[in-house]
Amino acid sequence: MNRIKAGLVALLIILFAMQLIQPIRNRNGQVVNKDSGKILRVPEQVQGIFKKSCYDCHSNQTEYPWYTYIQPIGWWMDSHVRKGKEELNFNEFGVYSKRRQLSKLKSIGQSIEDETMPLSSYTFIHKNTKLSKKDKALILDWVKNTINTQ
Amino acid sequence: MKTLVYGLLSSVLFFTACNSTSKKQESSTTDTSTAAKTDAKAHGSSSPISEIVFAYISLKDALVKDNDTDAASAGKVLESAIANVDRTSLAADKAKIYDDIADDAKEHAEHIGANAGNIKHQREHFETLSQDIYELVKAFGAGQKLYVDHCPMYNNNKGANWVSQSKEISNPYLGQSMATCGTIKEELN
Repeated sequence: MNRIKAGLVALLIILFAMQLIQPIRNRNGQVVNKDSGKILRVPEQVQGIFKKSCYDCHSNQTEYPWYTYIQPIGWWMDSHVRKGKEELNFNEFGVYSKRRQLSKLKSIGQSIEDETMPLSSYTFIHKNTKLSKKDKALILDWVKNTINTQ
Repeated sequence: MKTLVYGLLSSVLFFTACNSTSKKQESSTTDTSTAAKTDAKAHGSSSPISEIVFAYISLKDALVKDNDTDAASAGKVLESAIANVDRTSLAADKAKIYDDIADDAKEHAEHIGANAGNIKHQREHFETLSQDIYELVKAFGAGQKLYVDHCPMYNNNKGANWVSQSKEISNPYLGQSMATCGTIKEELN
């Protein structure tokens, strides 16, 4: 019995220690002039969908829900954001070459069509980020038009 | 105390397991890159991008056979072939063209390499990659005769192109079910 108690105490200590290691927040308050919204013509509605459903992982401005301050959830989220930004960062869209911008646009369209994005593990927790049929159609239309005018 | 020890032990095990797989991957990429080099040299081609073309063709052949694992390893070979091009041997303006295309192609090769098990996604990247390879060959020559083929049915009849070494059509987009579907669009000498 005593061993179980000691084990629980040790577990608590570990959990507490984990809380002390908070990943750096992905929040760059600066005005971004390389944002896709400045490089491409993005209608307000489409930009709204991007901000709501994509920017958490694909920009420098993550909106953190309260539970991401609890570890290891915060670490998990941190790795998602890092990977997401590596693939596509809306805030740094203008840094990509024209050729890569086109590739990214294509990939955006495909991942919406294939419903691989936003990740189902993400929409499961963040219910409001799920894309409606109308949202998807708006994005796909925008992708198509943008690629054609590039 | 026991729980603590077990907890620590299992986390140590977990981390070492992760490390060993990533190391394995690294070594396999370097292995394949040398393989590509010797193969391309054996072809006796003088083009600076012959290794890239060689890796692309083997990727294409893997997709024709619906083989996602071979496609993934070819993607990795292609990735190192892109990195291995000796840029110093290119004139400044050519190097600029190369960098522009290679930056994009590298990303597609990476995705194809990382997506064994998801051939649909591999093909999506292969489509854009094919355009990059086409432009590379146009700019630098391939040192061999190539054909640009067109598949009208891929992606809900939006169509897609690919580059091939042989006159016979073998379609990498629709796989074995439609292996001979497609037309030659252009010949690259």
